[in-house]
Amino acid sequence: MSLEIKVQEREPGVYLITPVGEINTDTALDFEKTSREFLPKAKAFVFDLERMTYISSMGLSSFFRIKQSIEEKGGTILLVHVSAQVQKVFDVVKIFSEAMMASLEQADEHLDSFLDDVQKGKIEPKSSSA
Amino acid sequence: MKMIAQRLPSKLENVAPFIREVLVLMKKFHLSEEDTFHIKLSLEEALTNAMRHGNKLDPSLFVDVNLEVDEQKVVMKIRDQGDGFDEARLGDPTALENSQKPGGRGVFLIRQLMNEVEYFDGGRGVKMVKLTARKA
Repeated sequence: MSLEIKVQEREPGVYLITPVGEINTDTALDFEKTSREFLPKAKAFVFDLERMTYISSMGLSSFFRIKQSIEEKGGTILLVHVSAQVQKVFDVVKIFSEAMMASLEQADEHLDSFLDDVQKGKIEPKSSSA
Repeated sequence: MKMIAQRLPSKLENVAPFIREVLVLMKKFHLSEEDTFHIKLSLEEALTNAMRHGNKLDPSLFVDVNLEVDEQKVVMKIRDQGDGFDEARLGDPTALENSQKPGGRGVFLIRQLMNEVEYFDGGRGVKMVKLTARKA
């Protein structure tokens, strides 16, 4: 039930984070801590979940808090390659449905548009109570 | 039929090793991947709820677990030593106004993934039943 976390900066401030294994009661806080290390410079987190085999509600809460934190500084998160079983868990918090992308290419297109809107001042940071 | 009965002290680090033990047992019944995922997740949610919300992570308090596995179903009973709870008082975790509240997601997931869910003893215990399919 171990978890390995791979992080790649694809372009300045855009991090591809690939959890390999399970995000459960044992590993959720480590996953969140590792992701947060990149938060100060982050404009976007893209989570590739192809090799994440399991998630519990503890993991879901970690994703939720990461989403809140990056949105408070005007960034965004995207989830790609979400399996049907894992998606069922994410569906509990429906606000993730807009973050789900079928592929990295689709995520890139979405991010290009998002970052363009940020530059033009069309997107404001979200407050935590929003 | 195979059975496991165990009394776990309320420490979260006890959850993963116990689930591993259950998964070893379930392997003998050749359950589908989907059923295994659902049983594993519901068991983790019920155990962590019992330890965190029921026993308040007091290691002197215990969570009793009884599992029965046969060819058709898995029956899991989890009971804590806390004050009990009323499921009806939990908000819908999919509702927008509750989306930022951490509680209730595990209980909701169990309802989604199990075929039968029944709380007993004032909410100190939960009985979960999963009707299972064999691997294709």
